[in-house]
Amino acid sequence: MCTKDISGSRSFSLSKRGRAIRRAMGLASRLTTLAVACALLTSFLNGQQSRPSEYQVKAVYLFNFGRFVDWSAILPTAGDHAFAVCVIGADPFGRTLDSTLAGELIDKRKVVARRISRPQDAATCQVLFISSSEDSRLKDILPQIDKMKLLTVSDMPRFSVRGGMIQFVFDKDKIRFEVNLTNAERAGLNLSSELLKVAIAVKRNS
Amino acid sequence: MAKTKDYSITKKLTRMNMLVSGAALLMACLSFVIYDLFTFREAIARNLSIQARVAGSNSVTALVFSDPHSAEITLSALKAAPNVISAGIYSLNGQLFASYRRDAQAQLPPTISPDKARSRVFEDSDVIVTDPIVFQGKPTGIVYIRSDLQMLYIQLRRYASIAACVLAVSLWTALMLSSMFGRSITDPIVHLADVAFIVSRDKNYTVRATPPSGRDEISTLIASFNGMLGQIEVRDAALQSAQNQLEQRVDERTFQLAAANEELESFSYSVSHDLRSPLRTIDGFSHALLEDCADRLDDTGRTHLNRIRAATQRMGLLIDDLLNLSRLSRTEMHTQSVDISALASAIANGLQEGLPRRGVELRIRNGLRTLGDPGLLRVVLENLLGNAWKFTSTHESALIEFGAAVSNGKAAFFVRDDGAGFDPAYADRLFGAFQRLHSMTEFAGTGIGLATVQRIVRRHGGEIWAESAVGRGATFYFTLGEPAFEGALP
Amino acid sequence: MNTKVILLVEDNPDDEALTVRALRKSKIVNEVVVARDGVEALEYLFGEGPHAGRNVSEMPQVVLLDLKLPKLDGLGVLRRLRADARTKLLPVVILTSSNEEQDRMTSYGLGANSYVRKPVDFEQFVDAALQLGLYWLVLNEPPRRSI
Repeated sequence: MCTKDISGSRSFSLSKRGRAIRRAMGLASRLTTLAVACALLTSFLNGQQSRPSEYQVKAVYLFNFGRFVDWSAILPTAGDHAFAVCVIGADPFGRTLDSTLAGELIDKRKVVARRISRPQDAATCQVLFISSSEDSRLKDILPQIDKMKLLTVSDMPRFSVRGGMIQFVFDKDKIRFEVNLTNAERAGLNLSSELLKVAIAVKRNS
Repeated sequence: MAKTKDYSITKKLTRMNMLVSGAALLMACLSFVIYDLFTFREAIARNLSIQARVAGSNSVTALVFSDPHSAEITLSALKAAPNVISAGIYSLNGQLFASYRRDAQAQLPPTISPDKARSRVFEDSDVIVTDPIVFQGKPTGIVYIRSDLQMLYIQLRRYASIAACVLAVSLWTALMLSSMFGRSITDPIVHLADVAFIVSRDKNYTVRATPPSGRDEISTLIASFNGMLGQIEVRDAALQSAQNQLEQRVDERTFQLAAANEELESFSYSVSHDLRSPLRTIDGFSHALLEDCADRLDDTGRTHLNRIRAATQRMGLLIDDLLNLSRLSRTEMHTQSVDISALASAIANGLQEGLPRRGVELRIRNGLRTLGDPGLLRVVLENLLGNAWKFTSTHESALIEFGAAVSNGKAAFFVRDDGAGFDPAYADRLFGAFQRLHSMTEFAGTGIGLATVQRIVRRHGGEIWAESAVGRGATFYFTLGEPAFEGALP
Repeated sequence: MNTKVILLVEDNPDDEALTVRALRKSKIVNEVVVARDGVEALEYLFGEGPHAGRNVSEMPQVVLLDLKLPKLDGLGVLRRLRADARTKLLPVVILTSSNEEQDRMTSYGLGANSYVRKPVDFEQFVDAALQLGLYWLVLNEPPRRSI
């Protein structure tokens, strides 16, 4: 994806005709510059951090999932407890998750990242990312966290049909997600319809 | 093309009323319309803000989860608002994320700088609203909506047509009412103007303006006007009667004057006969006495009788002079152009022939003409030149002049001699009837000559004055009114 | 015997006396007939009234006529004289003290032959009488010869 801001911020102060001319000219110059720039930059930017990596994006999404859940019934109103976003299994995020969550608040609570190894430790989590390393142990993990009111997220295959709530999927090159509403409701989580709107799929157990 | 200020006052009043009403209405309409449109515009903008906010909040997840398609769907709802030209969701860094375009040429800025996240701008007859999208306190993106002000213009047009109708109806009503009620003001004024015009043109002061009903300034004006006309009539009548009286008086006076003149005529006539007759007797028989009784009279007696005779003769002269003087005041003046130089020459020559003397030099200025009665002027010159002749008779040689000069600031004729002269101290008695400044023994004369001359000169509208020194002659100047001289001044 | 008669028409006895005296002083010895007023003058000339029986073919040489007369005044007499064929050409000298232009003009207009003012000064009067006499009685040729 190659985007470059070519001076357009001033274009909408011209007359219609000016704009048309400007647009025509701009368009031509834009295409040319774009072609050149893309060619140059692609080689540069490959491997640079200016384009977010997969887990950077997922970290952001992970954080954001938490914002679209109504925690008012679940969390005590006194906001001392932090909002924990936990990762169980092999941590694919690394420092990204911490840096993403740094300084953020959900429900006026500080958002922290935690890594846990045992499902029981997820009792204080609100969002739990189950690493794909736990793929084989999933059917053990899920019953243990069944009673906990937390949001399960994973990118392991078929997560949403195996009892998970939100599954990361790839839609062409874009990172999207599926939502299993039944699983979320069973856990007593009220997911915002806004979230559902942008889910690539919303599933219900039949 | 008639000038505005020449219109009748009815028209002017109507015009004024129309203008006033029109202006007032227009201003009222304009203020309302402007205010309304302004608030309307504000409402549109606010509405747009709300729409922006709604679109924005509905696009949060789309932004957060990078789902432009979802955002576009959200934005596409704006299709329902036909005034929205374009709308866009911009990510936090200002890049265009999702857009909506009403039609193909709708414009949308590709980026919005984050410091311009909140704005409301009226640009190119569109309104642009940008609003930051904040979710749970976190800025998430910027929403941009551009709307046309079509509604505003529709509203404006609607207002304009309503205002136009209202204005038209009101003006028409104003015209009607103004015509109706204005009449009550202008009609009496116009009527007054007409009457005044007639009065002035025909000089007929008997007409009157009809007073209007009511008691305002106009009725006062008309009442005063009528009053003035009445006064003029009265004054005219008074003038006429005064004039008649005057004429009557003049006629009376003229009659009286004629009668007086007639009396005077007959008086002088009888005087000339009746007074002289006894004089003749006295003188004649005194003479007879002297002759017939010469042997019985001594010197004393003779002296007495001579004295009687002298006095009697003198009285005869006096009577003659008086009669002349009175006649001169009464006769008609026949004014004509007179060659006064020729007259003077003729008289001087007559003197020379009648009372010949040697050693008299006569200097008569030639070519002088004037306007006057030739007979009367002759008398003047006879007297003046005669006097000059008389008062130089005691000198060996004499110089007598007649001419014209400027004296006392006036252009005048003069008769000058270098004879006996008179004492200027007594100059004021010079022209009195029978006044003499010399004794009988020095020079003969009744003293009526100069009185006669003065009377004649005065009848011509002129003056006479004299300069002299004892023993050095005298100069008598006289004017004959304006213009005394014909032709150029000497 | 000098048959040239002078008719003097004068009402004032003083003036009459003086006129006769003046004439005599001038050595004029013609008969002087005096009429006291205009009527008497006419009666004499036309042989009427108290003068009836006069030979009217014997007219005076000259009439010395005063203007101011009682009954009929001088101008009236003149008029009558000039109206009558017998006296139409009779020489008439107006002898008066009036200096009025009007009198003079009227007199001449009515056919007076001469107009003389009576001066106050007697000596002048004598002089005038002398000249009158010389002229009218000696020099002038009357229109009709009387025998």
